[in-house]
Amino acid sequence: MVYKRFTRRDFLKTAGAITAMAATGSFPTNIFADGKRLAKFPEKTDMILLTSRPPQLETPLHYFKEMITPNDAVFVRWHLANIPTSVNVAQWRLKVGGNTEKQVELSMDDLKKLEKVSHTAVIQCSGNSRSFFDPRVPGGQWGNGAMGNVTWAGARLRDVLAMAGVKAGSVDVAFNGLDGPPLPSVPDFEKSLHIDQAMDDDIIIAYEMNGTYLPMLNGFPARLVVPGWYATYWVKSLSDITVRDKPFDGFWMKSAYRIPDNPCGCIPPGSAQKTSIPINRMTTRSLIVDPSEGSSIAANKPVEITGIAFSGGYGIRDVLISADGGNSWKEARLGPDKGRYSWKQFFFSWRPAKPGKYTLMSRATDNIGESQPLDSLWNPAGFMRNKIEKVEVVVK
Amino acid sequence: MRLYVALAIVLAMAAGIAYAASEEMVHSITLPAVHTELKTGPGKEKTETLCASCHSVDYITMQPNFSKAVWTAEVNKMIKVMGAPIQEVDAMTIIDYLAAEYGTGK
Ligand code: HEC
Repeated sequence: MVYKRFTRRDFLKTAGAITAMAATGSFPTNIFADGKRLAKFPEKTDMILLTSRPPQLETPLHYFKEMITPNDAVFVRWHLANIPTSVNVAQWRLKVGGNTEKQVELSMDDLKKLEKVSHTAVIQCSGNSRSFFDPRVPGGQWGNGAMGNVTWAGARLRDVLAMAGVKAGSVDVAFNGLDGPPLPSVPDFEKSLHIDQAMDDDIIIAYEMNGTYLPMLNGFPARLVVPGWYATYWVKSLSDITVRDKPFDGFWMKSAYRIPDNPCGCIPPGSAQKTSIPINRMTTRSLIVDPSEGSSIAANKPVEITGIAFSGGYGIRDVLISADGGNSWKEARLGPDKGRYSWKQFFFSWRPAKPGKYTLMSRATDNIGESQPLDSLWNPAGFMRNKIEKVEVVVK
Repeated sequence: MRLYVALAIVLAMAAGIAYAASEEMVHSITLPAVHTELKTGPGKEKTETLCASCHSVDYITMQPNFSKAVWTAEVNKMIKVMGAPIQEVDAMTIIDYLAAEYGTGK
């Protein structure tokens, strides 16, 4: 594989941009009507800018009209400002050790010699849609664009662990990447999975996104892919895997990314979380992408309501659509099936007869009966939003 | 370290020097410089200096307006959990600034 070279032209382009910015003190961004900024980062298209250091970039909603989210449009979310910006793949090694028979250092070639496995899977930030929480909570103020549907390919985590030989008595597997804390006091971003889960056939160390290498900002040269689970576990620019005979208690497992310890992962809005567990599998959700919020539609002409639906790894059974604010529901037609971790597109032909305001809603149910609540489920960190969303349109 | 490697590459290119064989194994990006201006008000400078050593100040500007209690908890989290080296008196100034400029008035 040949990675896109950083050419002299790119350099001049970038250098030019930096100088221009330094001179004007402003960033050449388009401003959305609602005050959101668009920014262009390397290997990415124009994305909604949340933060610049470390970068947090959100996917504009119109990309979700497609089944697969292109690499340059997949959201970006780093925690620690010291992110990798240059990787020599010839020297990169994935170190696997801890409670194992031996410590191994795998090169990219070693990884590619293992059986190549591919899954189309939704990647979604735990805090996707946090900005819609009521009351609002601190954190990345994402709209609905901290997600995407990508075909990932790489080696099974299980096969990689087998090369080191997991010893009896192992309980957790911890994952660390090339990113690092800006100050030594900041906890390094390291995540863990229980050993039983780490052995799941479908977890891969992906070195390909949609048939090509990963953009740097999405975890080049390889990242963990835990299909069905929130992206906080999908450690980017993976460098170290440590098998542990004691539970992992790093900050980002023990204190952050926790949800209330009850079936809904929710508590009364505004209250404090007492007992908690690490966030894990995604809840079922769906989103109408077209028509978009505030669109105006011609009366007595058919319009197609389209969108996407996915769940925490069980595939989508059906999607119901309401065009009258939830009074009546009809089944939408589902698009092609790319496996249980992928999202499905839905299509519903609608012909509004009378002019006026209409509230469109979609409700998905997965193959084990998990669906979406009518009211939002609240938790203090702003995780797992999956309520039935409303899109208001005007028929003229 | 990373910086030096990138710099070496940049210098090599600027000088028009072609890469050695290992070139195609190196993948590099350069992050754009993005400037976010905090709102004008007493405490702005302290906030700019003390709250930007670990992340850009857009971490602040992207938040909705919060109560003073929430901003107090956030600043305390930065100090106690993340280890932000901020004196108590400066923390008070920053909390007042955030509550005034990015607050709910409560
Ligand atoms: C010692 C490093 C450090 C300093 C200094 C620091 N922060 Fe942070 N801050 C962090 C880290 C780490 C995060 C979490 C980043 C993430 O998850 O993306 C964070 C996140 C945040 C967030 C997002 C909400 C949250 O709690 O995750 C806000 C708001 C914030 N910081 C405000 C501030 C303010 C205000 C100051 C100055 C008083 C400050 N920070 C100084 C390290 C720091």
